[in-house]
Amino acid sequence: MSFEDWFREDRLPHIYCTGCGNGTVINCTLEAVEQMGWTVDDTVFISGIGCSSRAPGYIKTDSLHTTHGRALAFATGVKLANPRLHVVVFTGDGDLAAIGGNHFIHACRRNIDLTVVCMNNMIYGMTGGQGSPCTPVGAISTTTPYGAAEPVFDLSELAVTAGANYVARWTSYHVRELTKAVQAGLETPGFSFIEALTQCPTAYGRRNKLRQVSDMVQYLRTSVILVQKIQRMRERGEPVPEDKIPVGEFVRRNRPAMGVQK
Amino acid sequence: MKLVIDESRCKGCNLCTMVCPYHIFQEGDRLNERGIIVPRLDRPERCPNCRLQKLYGRRLCGACALICPDQAIHWDEEKPYEAQKVVIEY
Repeated sequence: MSFEDWFREDRLPHIYCTGCGNGTVINCTLEAVEQMGWTVDDTVFISGIGCSSRAPGYIKTDSLHTTHGRALAFATGVKLANPRLHVVVFTGDGDLAAIGGNHFIHACRRNIDLTVVCMNNMIYGMTGGQGSPCTPVGAISTTTPYGAAEPVFDLSELAVTAGANYVARWTSYHVRELTKAVQAGLETPGFSFIEALTQCPTAYGRRNKLRQVSDMVQYLRTSVILVQKIQRMRERGEPVPEDKIPVGEFVRRNRPAMGVQK
Repeated sequence: MKLVIDESRCKGCNLCTMVCPYHIFQEGDRLNERGIIVPRLDRPERCPNCRLQKLYGRRLCGACALICPDQAIHWDEEKPYEAQKVVIEY
């Protein structure tokens, strides 16, 4: 059995645009779930609203497609009602960081046994390209026509600070690393948060001179830097580049978790 | 095993051309019946998964299938299976 067997063949091809990274993240998540040896009957995928949240509709397992930003609230309910279920949450940056921000920090604080895969495409893709809390400074969107002026919300740092047990960030180009990170998140008891930076050529790239899928992926590849490399640069006293996004595993710890079956 | 692109699913994003270490996927040049330029396969028998999956009993590499956002890349069982002599250039 491979990850392709988890897809609902009758629903494919999905509605994502050409070159959308969300399909890649679903592949990596399902591959990790497959590696864990979980079955269709004991796994639940939960999502909110947005491009990323269409994902559970293409997967064979039971799923909940919930209200905007409240995926984590519903997931908490599912996990506490039946701790035997493995709960995976698909969510996006607008869903998790903007409208569901409070649910996110409190889910991290409670340390519920969930795995959250956040497909951060740096924009509200489904509603037409409005600026999200993760839109980079200077990027053009329909609500920031002169360039986004606000500082970017660093979701992984937020999860580390709020108390998640496992936090990692990769891009949709790093498929192997992302799969391993999701698998480590699934193995960790307690709240695990994996942020996947994905390309959005349609809503983000079109307005920011990254119209081709390859340009957008190249942008993701060149704008990230490994956390280990940042540490080495700090130890050597070299200046750390400010504009690069750190990727890698941020934290792995054993705070007491909620919802773990004894 | 045989490497196949499912033309009914591929949307022509050419992400597979960026990840294949053997550059088996090349950008295509003709439209298919859905109006999409599907990547062209350049000597797909060089793919390590095609050659060695039987020997190792698991999926090798598979980066193209993992990165394909439209789940269009898969491997078909070839019958009768016959070993092929291929030249690998690095």
